[in-house]
Amino acid sequence: MTQLQGTTTTGPGAERPAPSVRQLTFQWAGGPAIPVLSVAIALVLGAVFVLLSGNDPVKGYVALFQGAFGTPYDITETIVAAIPLVLTGLAVAVAFRTGLFNIGAQGQLLVGALAAGWAGSQWATLPGFILMPIVIVFGVAGGAFYGGIVGLLKAVRGVNEVITTIMLNYTIVFVMHWLLQAGPMTAQNAFGTPASTPIGVGARLPVIIPNELVLFSRLHAGIILAALAVIAFWFLLWRTPLGYQLRAVGLGARAAAQAGIDPARHMILVMAIAGGFAGLGGMIEVSGVFGRVYDGFSSSYGFDAIAVALLGKNSPLGIVFAALLFGAFVHGGAYMQSHAGISSNLVAIIQAFVLFVIAAESLVRSLTRRRGRARKPVEAIA
Amino acid sequence: MKRILAFSVLAATIVASCASTGTTSGSSAPSGSGSATGQHPKIGLVTDVGGLNDKSFNSLADKGRQQAQAQLDVDTSVTESKQQADYVPNLTKYAQDKYDLVIGVGFLMQNAIWKVATQFPNVKFAIIDGAPNDDAGNVKNLPNVANLFFKEQEAGYVVGVIAATMAKNKVGAATHNTVCSMGGLPIPPVDRYIAGYQDAVKTVSPTTKILNGYSQDFVDQQKGIEVGKSHIAQGCDILFQVAGGSGLGYIQAAKTAGVYAIGVDADQAAVAPGTVITSALKKVDVAVFQTVRALRLGTFKAGDNSFNATNDGIGFGTLDKVVPDDAKAAATQALADIKSGKITPKDTVQVKP
Amino acid sequence: MTWEMLLGASVAAATLRLAAPIALAALGGVVTERSGVTNIALEASMLVGAFFGIVAADRSHNIWIALGVAILAGVLIALLHAYASITLRSDQIVSGMALNILALGLTTYLDYQMYGTTGTPPDLAGLPDVQLGFLSGVPYVGDAIGSQNSMVWVMALLVIGLQLFLFRTVAGLRLRAVGEHPRAAETVGIDVRRIRYAAVLASGALAALGGAYLSLGVAHSFTDGMTGGRGFIGLAAMIFGRWTPIGALAASLIFGYGNALSTSLQGASIGDTKVPVQLLGTLPYVLTILAVAGFVGRSRPPAADGVPYETEGHA
Repeated sequence: MTQLQGTTTTGPGAERPAPSVRQLTFQWAGGPAIPVLSVAIALVLGAVFVLLSGNDPVKGYVALFQGAFGTPYDITETIVAAIPLVLTGLAVAVAFRTGLFNIGAQGQLLVGALAAGWAGSQWATLPGFILMPIVIVFGVAGGAFYGGIVGLLKAVRGVNEVITTIMLNYTIVFVMHWLLQAGPMTAQNAFGTPASTPIGVGARLPVIIPNELVLFSRLHAGIILAALAVIAFWFLLWRTPLGYQLRAVGLGARAAAQAGIDPARHMILVMAIAGGFAGLGGMIEVSGVFGRVYDGFSSSYGFDAIAVALLGKNSPLGIVFAALLFGAFVHGGAYMQSHAGISSNLVAIIQAFVLFVIAAESLVRSLTRRRGRARKPVEAIA
Repeated sequence: MKRILAFSVLAATIVASCASTGTTSGSSAPSGSGSATGQHPKIGLVTDVGGLNDKSFNSLADKGRQQAQAQLDVDTSVTESKQQADYVPNLTKYAQDKYDLVIGVGFLMQNAIWKVATQFPNVKFAIIDGAPNDDAGNVKNLPNVANLFFKEQEAGYVVGVIAATMAKNKVGAATHNTVCSMGGLPIPPVDRYIAGYQDAVKTVSPTTKILNGYSQDFVDQQKGIEVGKSHIAQGCDILFQVAGGSGLGYIQAAKTAGVYAIGVDADQAAVAPGTVITSALKKVDVAVFQTVRALRLGTFKAGDNSFNATNDGIGFGTLDKVVPDDAKAAATQALADIKSGKITPKDTVQVKP
Repeated sequence: MTWEMLLGASVAAATLRLAAPIALAALGGVVTERSGVTNIALEASMLVGAFFGIVAADRSHNIWIALGVAILAGVLIALLHAYASITLRSDQIVSGMALNILALGLTTYLDYQMYGTTGTPPDLAGLPDVQLGFLSGVPYVGDAIGSQNSMVWVMALLVIGLQLFLFRTVAGLRLRAVGEHPRAAETVGIDVRRIRYAAVLASGALAALGGAYLSLGVAHSFTDGMTGGRGFIGLAAMIFGRWTPIGALAASLIFGYGNALSTSLQGASIGDTKVPVQLLGTLPYVLTILAVAGFVGRSRPPAADGVPYETEGHA
């Protein structure tokens, strides 16, 4: 996609001032009919497909909801699936807010994961209170580096970030193959599994919901890191001078020039920050879920993140809820297959419908004849 | 705004779903509540991320599951894992729903199987191509887990015998005395096939030239075709694919050039009749079926279960009519020799790209 | 490492084979983005083109019908995207992504239902190769282009045709105007919506040709997800090529060359060390980055690209 500097194409930046948390929440609470209708339309479309395939849609949807939220265990799993999407969603959103399209969250997450996995195994014997911060720093730094390259190339050579991020995404996949199959990070006792050496106990994010509360829960402390990241995102963009400048750039190059920002510095900084979020997501997966870096562990966190960020309107709470929606599809979708016999591909189709319909705001809005416009005029920057 | 409310709708349904009890019944797959063996047991299969149609071990495992459902009076269900983080919850859900046997496919699940099998000691598990690995990466066999291992190098060896015999005797279109192979990625489950293949060729026909390459992909056919064209340009006449969907491109390249190919995992004679002279079979479906059967008969064996020449776990597939009798005889003899222990095929690749 | 591995005629031939599907997708991207609509669902159009082309070839045994069905499938996907983006003014990125997920799910599902674990049948009607016998004596060129698939030639013709269309015809000028200044275009009587619809549908057709090439021309079968991201690489090529057909082709060739090298360089060594096979896979991507950073630099998209257009009366 071709995001002009300053011309926001898909909803970020241009719309709302959103100064405080309270107002943020308040803004989301308008027009309950619309989202209900959106989801309902999508589910009906999906039900048609399910029927055509010879399955029972009611049983299917019951399985979907029960799979996602039916038991406390399911809820924790939905959250576990959502956590990396929150981080990569932030990575995409922070760039969108400032006028850049970061498709590279996928690659940035992997670099963060590799860096964190390496650090965690390199110093595996260190105690948690030393090792964990190190691993977090490595994860964030790895992602920030990979994002920063994109910003640097754009600032120095004007290379469109869409190209570099797509290329870098693929590049790290192959580098990862090498690192984990026949390279310096390949584990000794991998038994044919391309994976890195397991990280030390001190680097593992502990499960924070104990077995007594929710049996077998995997809900790890990454949720805390994710929450902190969301707060950091909000704070950065709406409470710091830098954030003000970045959003100004997102709203218009002229406004940004008036606010005195160096566009080159901004690009590098923003892409590094974005990469840092994604890298943290990679670190969380390694530390909280896998314990080591498996080749190919991230199939689509980075791409789903684009939808998460856009569905969430690049806003902190929106991203959280969009990520949970995706997490619900992941976990509930599996149950739809195992329990109602509905092919995982049909689940994907239903998910596509939900995305498609939610994206079609104006259709649903016109159906409910909502008064007042969602798009606010571009704010003037004094 | 709409997003959070879309979610609130779902949230409202959480309450509704929680109100009805967690474990559901009446699914389209398993029915009944039998949790003890012998009473309509429930078998769950969790695939790897490649999907059910991966033309490799996922589809074979599913084939075994379907056979078991048809012939062994069990109820089965399958869950495709979409990403690696799903292994644990997919396995856990079956165990929570009191399935009798939960089968995981692939070496990437070794840690997941260990985690879940430890939490559910009363449920039986099986893993294809692996053994339970604890968090430190060490193998930790469990009393309720069967490790289903295959000796791919044995399958590679017997088809290598066929290839070498045909190359040596310049049978049909195989005029250049050169054979080759293509893997998806140089990982052990792939390389073991190639290792056995190369070992056989070096043993049976040391003068035959051997080529090797990788497509870097298990899906992309065009990449497989490119490697195939490259090998054919270097004189290769018999192309052994070990690359799943990408390998079909390798076979296609052989077909276009009018030379021969060898399939892998399943019998791929139907992919390109007249081109595919045989296939290196890894009978994952048999392994799954046998494990379910063992469960039914009460002979479930935890720990290492090896599927190799001795128990018909590997073999060579349908021979095309161009394969001469001496090649077939040599392969059959090689299979017997492996069974008896006379031949132990190497499992490390000698000829790299 | 030999010159043959780097620049041999077989490498050139492989470059063309590998570049063709990407170039077709990139052409589709150029057309739609020049009209002001971002279509990231080119991957979806490619994939359905690949799949339904195979199905039609299987059922009809006729390559023309198969090609027609492939194009139709790609156009239908594009129609959904056009409807969402132009009429509904949806978020174009999300709508495109939704279609990508839809296409993958739908083709995978139908592939499994129809061709189960046996796979698509052999000996399907296919896109023929064009054998240029008269070139067989010519060194290098004869090997490079003497035996390419017909779709490669179609792609070349389309590049030239679209370049002329966009920059030498009135219709092309209109399309570009719609992408740069839709409101101004409308005031002079150009129907912005209709042109954008046509552009998006055309992009679906072009991408579908790329998909059909993969399944009917190269692989002669279908495997799930066989387009493997070529639609996205095509978008990158479009940007790299500065939203021109010729530029898109050049970018696709660079990428295709990198891909060809990742096969031809297997086994090559630099000095004493062998290049690891896995790292060869990075070649097309790294090469593209270097080429863009080194030679292309800044590229500017059409001014109104990606912005939903509200016609008079809705403002």
